[in-house]
Amino acid sequence: MSLNVAKVLTCIQCGKCTGSCPESGKTPFNIRMIVRKQQFQREVEETIPWYCTSCGACTLRCPRDVKPSEVIVDIRSAFVEDGQVPASLQKALENTAVQRNPWGRSRGKRGAWAEKLDIEVPHVSETESKRLLFACCIQAYDPRCMVIPANVARILSRGGYEFGILGEEEACCGNEIRRIGEAGLFEELMEENTAIFQEYGVKEIIALSPHCMNTLKKEYGNLGIKVSHYSEIVAAMLKDGVIKPALAYDKKVIYHDPCFLGKQNNIFDEPRSILGAIDGLELLEFARLRETSLCCEGGGGRMFYEAEGTQERNSEVRVAEAIEKGADVIATSCPFCLMTLEDPATEKGIVVKELSEILMEVL
Amino acid sequence: MNLLVFTKRVPATQEEEVRIVDDGKRVDLSKVPFKLNDWDNYAVEEAVRIVEKSGGSVTAISIGDAESDEVLRRAIAMGAQDGFLIEVVQEQQDPNARATLAHNFVRKEVLPFDAIFTGVQSEDDQFASVGGILAAKLGLPFVSMVIGIDAFEAGHATVRRELEGGLQERVKVNLPAVFAIQSGINEPRYVSIMGIRKASKVERKVFKAGDYQDGVANKIDVEKWIYPPSKGGATMLTGDADSICKELLGILKEKGVYQ
Repeated sequence: MSLNVAKVLTCIQCGKCTGSCPESGKTPFNIRMIVRKQQFQREVEETIPWYCTSCGACTLRCPRDVKPSEVIVDIRSAFVEDGQVPASLQKALENTAVQRNPWGRSRGKRGAWAEKLDIEVPHVSETESKRLLFACCIQAYDPRCMVIPANVARILSRGGYEFGILGEEEACCGNEIRRIGEAGLFEELMEENTAIFQEYGVKEIIALSPHCMNTLKKEYGNLGIKVSHYSEIVAAMLKDGVIKPALAYDKKVIYHDPCFLGKQNNIFDEPRSILGAIDGLELLEFARLRETSLCCEGGGGRMFYEAEGTQERNSEVRVAEAIEKGADVIATSCPFCLMTLEDPATEKGIVVKELSEILMEVL
Repeated sequence: MNLLVFTKRVPATQEEEVRIVDDGKRVDLSKVPFKLNDWDNYAVEEAVRIVEKSGGSVTAISIGDAESDEVLRRAIAMGAQDGFLIEVVQEQQDPNARATLAHNFVRKEVLPFDAIFTGVQSEDDQFASVGGILAAKLGLPFVSMVIGIDAFEAGHATVRRELEGGLQERVKVNLPAVFAIQSGINEPRYVSIMGIRKASKVERKVFKAGDYQDGVANKIDVEKWIYPPSKGGATMLTGDADSICKELLGILKEKGVYQ
């Protein structure tokens, strides 16, 4: 009996998972029911598992440590093995297999964000610290998100913090790939990245996306490499006075906790302390914050898959609440949250910014 | 039904800025990843579906270097029973030479088949003619642009060809025949990495292209690689955001795109 099956059998069907799930109620997705079906080895309808956003709320709240979000990964893996994958997810997987990023953009251009920068970013092998800035696929290619690595690189440089990059040698971290259920491809990516880390003697990784941080930190095995999210580094730099905002930011900013940074990795305070270090900035909070933050629905492969039958998007709910609270800006620290929130926010005339964008404006 | 499917490993160039080097003699593919030719993916899927329904076997064949084994493993993971690699020392671009090589191989190895599938074309060379030349050399009927297979029975097949203007043409053809499969004929299944690993355990046979060279000669030689001439037509707007927006709006109104 596998560990996961044994855990499923300990489920007491209390429903805390469904009670915390951002998809329950508005979609046919019922995580408690899925776990029940797994207990009896009953088939789960093929359209159902793809609603999961891998936010991890169910796993966080489960009193029996059943890890329902991992049950979903197992079910998806079986569908993937069988070739039954929704077309858009299939494309993301095939793109990753070929170009090492889900968008299928040229691997050769993965380091392009650093080419036109006003600072020199060395290859990690040329650094003394062997400290790697792990860019992440969406931030390496998406024009909206490319500013994030550029900003973080500038912020770290201002603080005299040495780091390097891998450019086109970096492959997708595989966080989403694993959650889509492509265990084999995840393994390939992990092995490829691990080999390159070892080749250049990487000692520390600063991840720009919470998704990358999560998998590099928790799913790559014991690499002997310290993995942090950049917000941890920058918060410490601000606290130690290594960098200091020069300008005020006279705006009301509401902070959205990304699931992979907050719920799944307990990084709640650092992003808030970055915002708190800026003069004039009034920090607001959502009613659902920290561990109870409402998922933006960008994780678990949902960036590449439009689930059918969804009513109001969670990002719309989030934007409406931000407006109700009187926020001028929604701040977040995840590229997926940025992208999902920005659509409805633009429609409603409110701005969404990634932490580093706000900080760069005042440094 | 015994179906032979020709599959090709091609560079994935869609997102690449491919560079011509050595004064036009060569294209630098050193950093370009490779994949299964898209049309061949549909061809393998269609063949596998036919065999899943009515029995028989699918044999995937690839003409290429040792690396082409990866497209055979993929085809086996999709459901093909066998994979044959016709290993070439040097890449053969000329469609006539490729088709002759394929013909010699099929005849010399006395491969039993009811039909041969190819993709309509390959993404790299785009001659779209290997299937047709192969059919002619084998003395078999050839159906191009196959967008649907309605019946595949002993002795004959009824298939649909894709035409312009949203039309399709249903044709009946005696078997054996050669079919060039159009993309969109089906939705190819996802092939997982685990599936490909399992397929690796199925033995693929390797044949040396040198043993099938009778009449293999280039009828077309690539003289030079060139970039298409750059065209004008793009207008770059300059100035501050306000003036650019006003100018853009003016242009869109003038062109009737925005009223």
